[in-house]
Formats: sequence, C-alpha cells, structure tokens
Amino acid sequence: MTALERSRPSAPRTPLTWARGGGLSTLVFLLPLLFVFGIFSWKPIVEALVMSLQKTNLVTPATFVGLDNFAKVLSDPQLGTAVLNTGWFALLALVFGYPIPLVAAVLMSEVRRGRGLFSALAYLPVVVPPVVAVLLWKFFYDASPTGVFNTILGWAGIPPQPWLQTAATAMPSLVLEATWAAAGGTVIIYLAALTSVAPDLYDAAEIDGAGIWHKIWHVTLPQLRGVLLVTLILQVLGTAQVFLEPFLFTGGGPAGSTMTILLLIYKYAFQNSLGGDYGAATALSVLLAIVLALLSLLYLRATKRWSTE
Amino acid sequence: MTASTELTSEALAAPASVSAAPARPVRRRRTRGSAGAERGILSVADRRRPAVRAGTAVVHALLLAALAVAGLGPLLWLLKAAVTPTQDTLRTPMALFPHGVDWANLATAWTTIHLDIQFFNTVAIATGSWVVQVLVATTGGYVLSVLRPRYARLLHGAVLATLFVPAVVLLVPLYLTILRPPLIGASLINTYWAVWLPAGASAFNVVLVTRFFDNLPREVFEAARTDGAGPFRLFWSIVLPMSKPILGVVSVFAIIAAWKDYLWPLLVLADPRVQPLSVRLPALQQTIELDVYLAALAISTVVPILLFAVFQRMFLRSAGLGGAVKG
Amino acid sequence: MRAAGPRPFTHRKAQTMKSPRRATALAVVGLASVGLLSACAPAGDSGKTKLTVASLIPGTEQAAFDAFDARVAEFEKANPDIDVEGVEYEWTAETFTTQLAGGTLPDVYRIPLTDAKTLIANGQLADITAEVQALPYYDKFNPSVFEAVQGDGGKIYGIPREAYGMGLEYNRALFEEAGLDPDQPPTTWDEVREYAKTIAEKTGQAGYMQMTQGNTGGWQLTAATVARGGRMEEQDGDSWTVTADNDATREALQFLKDLRWTDNSMGSNFLFDWGGINQAFAAGQIGMYTGGSDLFTSLTRENNLDPDAYGLAAIPITEDPDAAVMGGGTLNVVNVKASDAVKAAAVKWIDFYDVSKLVDEDAAVADAKILADSDQAVGTPSLPIFDQATLDTSRGWIADYINVPQDQVAFFAEGNQGRTIVGEPPAHTQELYAALDVVVQAVLTDQNADIDALLAKVNTDVQALIDAD
Repeated sequence: MTALERSRPSAPRTPLTWARGGGLSTLVFLLPLLFVFGIFSWKPIVEALVMSLQKTNLVTPATFVGLDNFAKVLSDPQLGTAVLNTGWFALLALVFGYPIPLVAAVLMSEVRRGRGLFSALAYLPVVVPPVVAVLLWKFFYDASPTGVFNTILGWAGIPPQPWLQTAATAMPSLVLEATWAAAGGTVIIYLAALTSVAPDLYDAAEIDGAGIWHKIWHVTLPQLRGVLLVTLILQVLGTAQVFLEPFLFTGGGPAGSTMTILLLIYKYAFQNSLGGDYGAATALSVLLAIVLALLSLLYLRATKRWSTE
Repeated sequence: MTASTELTSEALAAPASVSAAPARPVRRRRTRGSAGAERGILSVADRRRPAVRAGTAVVHALLLAALAVAGLGPLLWLLKAAVTPTQDTLRTPMALFPHGVDWANLATAWTTIHLDIQFFNTVAIATGSWVVQVLVATTGGYVLSVLRPRYARLLHGAVLATLFVPAVVLLVPLYLTILRPPLIGASLINTYWAVWLPAGASAFNVVLVTRFFDNLPREVFEAARTDGAGPFRLFWSIVLPMSKPILGVVSVFAIIAAWKDYLWPLLVLADPRVQPLSVRLPALQQTIELDVYLAALAISTVVPILLFAVFQRMFLRSAGLGGAVKG
Repeated sequence: MRAAGPRPFTHRKAQTMKSPRRATALAVVGLASVGLLSACAPAGDSGKTKLTVASLIPGTEQAAFDAFDARVAEFEKANPDIDVEGVEYEWTAETFTTQLAGGTLPDVYRIPLTDAKTLIANGQLADITAEVQALPYYDKFNPSVFEAVQGDGGKIYGIPREAYGMGLEYNRALFEEAGLDPDQPPTTWDEVREYAKTIAEKTGQAGYMQMTQGNTGGWQLTAATVARGGRMEEQDGDSWTVTADNDATREALQFLKDLRWTDNSMGSNFLFDWGGINQAFAAGQIGMYTGGSDLFTSLTRENNLDPDAYGLAAIPITEDPDAAVMGGGTLNVVNVKASDAVKAAAVKWIDFYDVSKLVDEDAAVADAKILADSDQAVGTPSLPIFDQATLDTSRGWIADYINVPQDQVAFFAEGNQGRTIVGEPPAHTQELYAALDVVVQAVLTDQNADIDALLAKVNTDVQALIDAD
C-alpha cells in the first residue's frame, strides 16, 4: 500500500468511485503496456505453447498432434549435433571471453590518466553493428594465403590457417569474433564493479602487510565474485541463443560443425520454401526455453545473494 | 536475434544491476572516493616504488597497444579497404594502396545501392522503437510504481514472467501475430510497426523504470497531490522530469538494440524498401563488387561510431549498468 | 539470406537476366526511391487493373532497371487499362516461405520448376487454365517442362519461363595465365582434373571449385552424379527411394577428394553458396566450376567479371548409358489471391515480358533492342522451353543484338548435342540437397571423411522424411 492509496477515502467501491478515485486514468496509463505486451508478448507465448502441440505449415489448417513435435525434434539426428555445438560455443566463449575482459578491467582500473581512452577503445567493437562485424570478419577469415589474418600470420612465419574452412577450426573462429564484438561491454561492467570496491578494504589489507598480488587475490576478486557470477550466467544464457555468427559466417557448416540450436529452429521454420515445420520449430523453442528458464532461476538466486551481500 | 531476444539477457541483468547500483552509479563512486584520495588496488606507497611504477607503465602501454590493435585495427582496415580497388584488397589485403586510392567506391556505395534509403530506414526503425519503448516503459512503470492499483502485483508478475521466455520461442507466433494482428486488422508485414511494436514489449525496460520510480521520494508525489495535481500532471510535470537518468539508459539500449537487430527485421521486412542496413547488407554481399561492398560496410559503421563518440559517457554508463552480454 | 543459402536451383534461376530475384533488389532501391512514394499512392484510380510483377533481383544495376521500366512503359502503352508495378524479387527458400505465408508476393512471380507440384497441391497458385489456353502457343510447350505446371484434370497453374542446363563455367583469363588454351575447354572429368592442377600450380588460384553451402552443394553433387550416370532418387511404383549411395555419387565425391587432397587444386576456401562462388569466380579466384548455363548476366553485371574472361563449356559426362545433363527451369506463376481481371492482366504480362519474344519476331526484336541498348546481356545460352527449332529461330531474329560473346559459350551447345536432359530429384529435394551439403563439405574439409558412411546416412535420413509423408 502506498501513501497515495492510503490517502484515498475508503468509500465502498462502485464503478463511479473507481473512476473518480483514479481507476480510469490508471487504465489510460496502462493502455500502452497492455496493448503491446498483450499482443506481442503474452499472446504469442500462449500461442507458442499451443503450436508446439500442432502440426501446421501455415498453408494447410493446423491439427493437434499431441507430443509428436517433441518426439520428432528429440529424435532428429541434428539435435544432438546442435546441442553439442551450442555447448561447445558456450564453453569456448567462456574460455576466450571470460578471463580476458577481467584482466583488462583490473589493469584498466589502475590507469590514472586517460582511462576514458582505454574504455573507449575497448568498447569500440561493441558499437560496430554486429552484422557488419560478422561480414567484415568473414573477409578477414579468408583461408587463402592472401587472406587478411593469414597475411598477418605470415609476417610471423606462421603458415596460413583454415579458419572457417574446417570443422575443427570453424567454431573457435566464430567465438573469436563474438568475443571481439562483446568483450568491451564486459570490460565496462567489471570496471564499474571495480571502482566501487571500497578503498578501506585495500587500506585494511595493506595494514596487514598485503602486497599487490595478495590484494588482487584476496580483496579485488572476492569483491567481484557477484559480478563474475552474473556475467557468467548471462553469458551462458546469451550463448545458448547464438544465431547471427553461425548463420552469417558458415550457415552451419562445414559439415554441420557450427549448426546451433537456434539455427536448427530457424531451419525448421523458415528454410523450406514449401512451408516450414512451425510445430517442430516451436517445440524445440519451448524445450530451449525450459532449460534457459532454469538457468535464469539460478541466476536470480545468485543475484539475490549478490545484492544482499 | 530480435530486439526482444537481446533484451532477454539484458533484462535479466536488470534487477541485479539496478538494485546494486541505484539511480546514478557514477555519482555514487565519486562520493565514496571523496572520503580519501580516490584509490584502487595500488596504494600511494605502491605507486611511489620505482619497480611498480615502471611495471604499471609498461603494462599499461602494452594494454593500450593491444586495445588499439583489437579495437581500432579492424575499423582502420575497413576504412582503408573502402577506398582500395578490389584486386588490391584480395591479393595484398595488408598493403597500403599499392595501386592508388579509389574514392569512387564510397560514392558508388552510397548512390547505386541506395544506402541512403537503408539509412533512413535504420533511423526510422531506431526512432520508432525508441518512442514505443519509452512510452510503454514510462507509463507502465508509472502505474506499477506510483499509481499502484490493486492488480499491480499481478501485472508486475505477468511482465516479469516474460523475462524468462527467450525471444526465440516467440519467433513463429509473433510472426503470425504480425501477419494477422488482433485489433489492428491489416497485416503489419513490411511496415515499421512490425518492428516498433514488438520492441515495446520489453520487460527489461519496464522493470528498470519501475525500480527507478520506486526509489523516487514519495513525499514529492504527495506534496504534488495535495497541491491538486492529477495523475496526468503528476506524471508529466513531476515524475518524468525526475527520470532523465533512467530514460537516458533506456534510450541507449533501445537505439542500440534497434541498430543491431537482424533476424526479426529480416523476417518481417521482406521488402527492401523498408529494410534497415543490418538486413540489407548481407543480402547485397554477393551481388555487388567487393570494393563497393566494403565501402558500404564502412559507411554503415561510421554513423554508430560517431554517435558513440558524441555520447560516449552515456553509452559507457549504460553499459556498466547491465549491458554486458548481448548474445 | 543468401549467406544462409538459398536453394541452388533457385539461385540459378534467379540470376537470369531479368529475373525476379534481382528484381527485388534493385527495384527496391531503384524504383523505390521513387516508388516509396508512389507505392503508397492509390494507383488504381480510373478503373485500371493494378498488377504487381516481380521485376529484378536486389543488387541489379540501374541500367537493368531502366530496361525493365522501358518494357513496362511499352506494355502499358499497349494495354492502357493495366497499371504495372515492378517489385524487386529474389527467390530464396527463406524469403519465399515467409512471403508465401505472409501474403506479400506480387501478382506475378517466379518459382523453381521443382516447387510447382507441391504449391499446386497446397492450393497456393492461381488456376490460369482459361487464360493460358487462349495463348496461341500453349500446346507447343515442351511437354516435359509443361507437365510441371499442370494439376489435376489438366488445369494449368503456371507458364514455363526458361530452362537451363548445367554447364562448366571457366575463366578464360586464368586459363591463359596457366598456359592452357581457352578455346580447348576440358571435355572429360580427367581433363578437368588436369586443367585444375595446372591452374592451381601456375596461378595459385583454385583450379576447380564446387558450390557447397545453402543446399547448393547437394544440388551440384546431384548434377555431378547425373553426369556420371547415377540418380539420387529412384521411383518405385508410387514411392521414391533415396539412392544417394550410388557408384556415380561415390565417383563424384572421389573426384572432389582427389582434387582437394591429392592435387590440392581447390584453393583454401570451401564454403560457397551460389552467390559466393560467382563472386569468387568473377574476382579471378576460381578457374572452373559447374553451374547453370545462364550465369553470364549475373557474373558480368553483378560481379563485374570481364566478359572476355567468361567461358562456358558443356559439363563432361561419362560413357555410362544413363549419364546425362541435369537441367532445371523457372516458372511464372500468378498469386492465388488474384481476381479474374488481375489473372488476365498477369498472363498478358507474362506473355509480353517472357514468352512472346521466343515465338514472335517483333516481340523478340523489341525485347532484344531494349536490352542491348541498356547494355544488358542478349543471347545467354539456355535450353528450349518449346523445342530446339523454336529457340534457334528466335535466336536468329535477334542475331544483330546478341552481345554475349557467342564464340566463348558455343562449346556449351556443341557439347550438349544429342545429350539427355534430366530433371532434379523430386522427393524432398531441399532436404536431400541439405543432407548432401554436409557430405560435400565433409569431403572438402576433412581428409579422412568416410564417403560411404556419409552417403548411407543421407539415405537413411532423407528416406525417413519421404516415408513419413
């Protein structure tokens, strides 16, 4: 109960008193939210659940098929590949994208003059439209000896690399670009967290005779624990939905090595010119949603602990 | 993914970031630092030690070099390639203009592939999404936080629940909704509305703004009410003016998301006349010559970079507030 | 979209010169700058029939749009009661599905031959039987092509637009650089291998390449299979059996494997869809590849290939009695929502824009003149949608305007004399191609790829789809 409500006279509620008491104007303020969420969020969510139980290609009328779509999706040989690939992407994204921003942020937090320049440089790739970044890197990844990256490697005497052109190197190449495009944002978050570490903690550690490494290990990192956990889970949630990179870089190839869950959903729904299998697409989406919702719950618990710490 | 997809992850960040860093994180830091000299891991004594001083100088120089190469390098290369003839770029990609500069690429990219139209579309989509998002988030947040009708809790729960649904689930049903929208009648396919309206259904924004409103001093509202201000005046003259910081954050997110959006506009904007750059560029990838294409990429990058340069502070602050992981 | 890979077939047709796909792009932009405004304006004022037609594919140069506009003006002059609006159009699997579901297709658009049967069965195409039967030449279409547009009871749902056969595209400039005679293109697969090796050694570019991505890998592997006497699917009464693990396919894959891993003559990049390989070819990075016979326009106009460097030969076929050339085609169809008036106008437009130039001298000359004047390709090699004599006659009418260097593409027609043209596998074509993409990519990117196991998996996976119907 807010102060506002308490100040209202407690007369019996009729439509008239409701309107006088501000009920009507409240509704007016709510209209945009109700309209937009109702039509473009709540309704489609319900429809997704319904569609996952239907067979429909938007052309012929939909029929209920029970759990057939789920059975079909789960027995699709591509699903295993897609799950493994998505997990591989997520793991690589952690290996590449987790420590580097942290180290960079810790170092940057000690810059006294010109920190703005550091931040700006780190954040620059985040500003590049992702589509442009992918298309540009696709060119960088030219696997011939005259490719951009291979030319640079050549200066160091390293032989040309296949980049996107073999199953083994394609995924790491995708992750490298994704990390380049996103690391700046993570750096800025860590930086914000680092600058809010209370100076007295360092003062106290120094009184105990702690050296620089000791301070980093026993003061800085523990203070970042919450943020680190948050970015970790956010990153997992984000990478579980990776689409743009495999879609534009490799189309899922070579030989299915970059086929991710989202790409598979997209293929079910939109890649057959004779009408997509929307039931299978939504069924797989719903399965993914359940997994992600569990992860999100984990996340909320983590942040709750963090914010109360 | 769609705007909403990206927001999912951001959205989840919201409660944490907001509660952890209320209203103005930057200021908070200042006030805290003002107690003593602003300090970090290194103490004043540390900094006086020559070894530490030299060490940090070297490390920072290396870091700066690495950031410059990684952050600026690809963009500088793109600028170079934009005015380099195709065969030079293909055969000697790292050479600086071995056969001269081809300025015509830029003009060709702009005129013959009509980047101007795509630019206009991009701006129109970003602006419209921004307006819808701000409208929904402020009015919704106002109801949920300030007016608080009896059903506020329920409503808040319904909005929060959408945070847990990844946007990909909505892809197909949302597409069908755009084809046959209830209440509206006509299909929204190939209209900006197909992007604007779903962008407004961002639970992240609503939560962010609601939390911000929650932290505004209630006394001000009560005083305004006693002065006879109705809900509309309260909203317009009191709440909105006090919300500038959070509106800035919402705006930055809205505009970045609209600029980045790919899959959703790809699906609903099939007509190139209304497509934004992000959709158009991949489509043109193979139908125009490489040098002109790279020029088109360069032009498409310059605008967001300029925006960033001008609003750097705001961007970085918003990023610190929870922009981290955008799929 | 293209990156993700439209379907092969599709692609190819798209590229034809005035084709739909391109229509979209340029049109979009080209017409669009103006069109943005005019599109919204109420066009159907004075009782005119408004007809939206697929024009060119996105990215097409302005001159092509000018030529298109000139044709529209001519048509509107002859049919003052029809108001034609060109819409950029490009057939890709992704955009087509969404456009079909979204009801955003123009009144007249183009589809691959292989899709017609399903679209007809789903009630997605307008019945234009009466309108087509009124055309003087309707019973002269090549029956095997015309069969594709017919539904139950002989109803007609489309008009054949063009047909192409698979050919061997080669870069004459690279041939010369490698010391090969560009007027002696290879005629056997062994020669292709030899040439490819020479090109790779002498020029450092890929001697031979194949499309691999977005279902084009399967499309081209199927063509290579047909050229070696194999088939990907075989009819068995009413049902279809997937036969991807046939000897010809194995041979075709072994060929790729030899070039890639033994000779190392396929360069370093292996992810190419239709647009990607054209671009790389035009940039001089690929010596030879197999593709549709109508690529000239796309290569020279969109990818800026020097016309002098373009060569087209017949695809090599083996001694096997079943060895043949795989072909395909494009159909003009009418939006199922079209009214009778629109249907009539639509068929008039199709007749005017795409068909009459093949059967009527005046129309042929008028069309060729406009194209030649705006520097668009005239005389791209193709296969007949009526019969060879009709095609030859129509070529004769426009001899003065032909600007595609005929001596550089003549090897195609010469080599194909007396050969059989075979259509694409009909059952779950796209899924089959998608599954084969994986095989082709595996062979090119993994030295130890197990061809037999990969093909067996294709058989099982695609057969399961067919059996589920």
